[in-house]
Amino acid sequence: MTGRLVPLGLVLALFAALAGAPGLFAPALGLVAEPGQTVIYDRQPLWLLAGWHVVLVAAAGAVAAVVGIGLGILVTRPRGAEFMTLARMASNLGQTFPPIAVLAVAVPIVGFGFEPTFIALCAYGLLPVFENTVAGLRGVPATTREAARGMGMPPGAVLARVELPLAAPVILTGFRLSTIINIGTATIGSTVGAVGLGEVIVAGLQSGNTAFVLQGALLVALMAIAVDMALRLPFRSMTRA
Amino acid sequence: MIEVENLTKRFDGVTAVDDLSFTVPEGEVLALVGTSGCGKSTTLRMLNRLIEPDRGRVLIDGLDAAATPPEKLRQGIGYVIQGVGLFPHWSVAQNIGTVPRLLGWDRARTEARTRELLELFGLDPDEFGPKPPAALSGGQQQRIGVARAMAAEPAVLLMDEPFGALDPVTRARLQEEFAQIQRRRGITVILVTHDMDEAFRLADRIAVMDQGKILQVDTPERLLRGPREGFVRQFVGLDDRALRILSLHRVSEYAHPASGAAPVGQWVGPGDTLREAASRLIWQGGDSLPVIDGDDRVVGEIRAADIWRVGGRGA
Repeated sequence: MTGRLVPLGLVLALFAALAGAPGLFAPALGLVAEPGQTVIYDRQPLWLLAGWHVVLVAAAGAVAAVVGIGLGILVTRPRGAEFMTLARMASNLGQTFPPIAVLAVAVPIVGFGFEPTFIALCAYGLLPVFENTVAGLRGVPATTREAARGMGMPPGAVLARVELPLAAPVILTGFRLSTIINIGTATIGSTVGAVGLGEVIVAGLQSGNTAFVLQGALLVALMAIAVDMALRLPFRSMTRA
Repeated sequence: MIEVENLTKRFDGVTAVDDLSFTVPEGEVLALVGTSGCGKSTTLRMLNRLIEPDRGRVLIDGLDAAATPPEKLRQGIGYVIQGVGLFPHWSVAQNIGTVPRLLGWDRARTEARTRELLELFGLDPDEFGPKPPAALSGGQQQRIGVARAMAAEPAVLLMDEPFGALDPVTRARLQEEFAQIQRRRGITVILVTHDMDEAFRLADRIAVMDQGKILQVDTPERLLRGPREGFVRQFVGLDDRALRILSLHRVSEYAHPASGAAPVGQWVGPGDTLREAASRLIWQGGDSLPVIDGDDRVVGEIRAADIWRVGGRGA
């Protein structure tokens, strides 16, 4: 466990340094900047943008998890089996529809800023959670489920105490994929005015400032790597049990 | 005591269980035997309402199973499943404690019962209790499966191919262990199996099923001596019936008194079957074998003439 905590700590430290004290990196970033350009993005503090980025992804992740796991449970129950096709279609649609197109549809309805980006991320993050919940629950051996019923466990206990714990590693993998995809995807929210790290990248692209693009991209990448590492930790300990 | 009346189940127009009626008195082991798809597992699963019958009823100790909520009914009936089905994310002790916890037993009582059962099945509670099921051998897992079913001291045990997928030596040992425990505790058992030897070894009565019907219910010996024409005769097998009849009897039932020094050649114990005695007698030659007890004393002799008579048509 400690062997896996050290790299995570290093990635987090690097992320915190870049977001909190970007001045430290000015000499290095200056190498890719044109003469006379500002090296460090200064319209908003980077830590504030990173913070909003986290809030956006976390809020969308929570919704994707609740809806995705809930739908996955529903369609694997005998009474919910008929919703399988419908649920699969809906979650597939969320993934195939490009997030930028969702933004285009959502902006006229909910306005600019946080909300349209949040909606796009919820839709985009749903499929991996849903599909992995279904796969995880279906992967529970039939004999195990039969034994649980045969012992006299009520249906809720079979789900909560047998099926979900056994499916948890697969479900968590889906949630991890969904979250790291959304950390990258959230950058497009800046095109509709959502506060986040995409803002730095977009500003850099508009003004031809490679240093801006690089620091925005680095922060997003470090965040994704850190979340990926962190969500693998419980997965490890669960498969061992 | 289990009473089954006119039990019927159809799946998609195919009759799986057809108007079945039988009774199992308290403390008896009834084996349901037949080929795959004969309806024996479906019958078993209707007894604890894992499958709801289309028609007919099940009375357990006089109470209609349909009148009890299914979860409550199942908590009162031990169930040993084909393929064991231990919960892989729980320790052996937690697995055994499943039904006691559902019944709301306190921690100390559940723990004491778990230890008692592990000891009963010859497994050290301190060593095996905390282990995950995956760390156990196939035979040990089957033992835990049976122990889990017996945890809340049910009066009735339903077993579906409980000792399948084991090597013959381990299977025979587990069957012997289980038979002893069953007799001591007086549990009523319905055992589903396709293995005739298992049925002969464990059952007081055997019901031969085909196409959802019971063709014949009888004690093992009567089934061997008088199988009905057709499927029963074919399924029971006539080639080695004399030997099978011998395996139903113990040496102690037919031994004559005798005494003397322990011999150097072949001998039998009082608890051995006549089949084993016959095999040793053939190997040894001659017309009797000494019977020797656990303390190496000769307590009697078993005679070839008695063995041939027991295994013969006229007995």
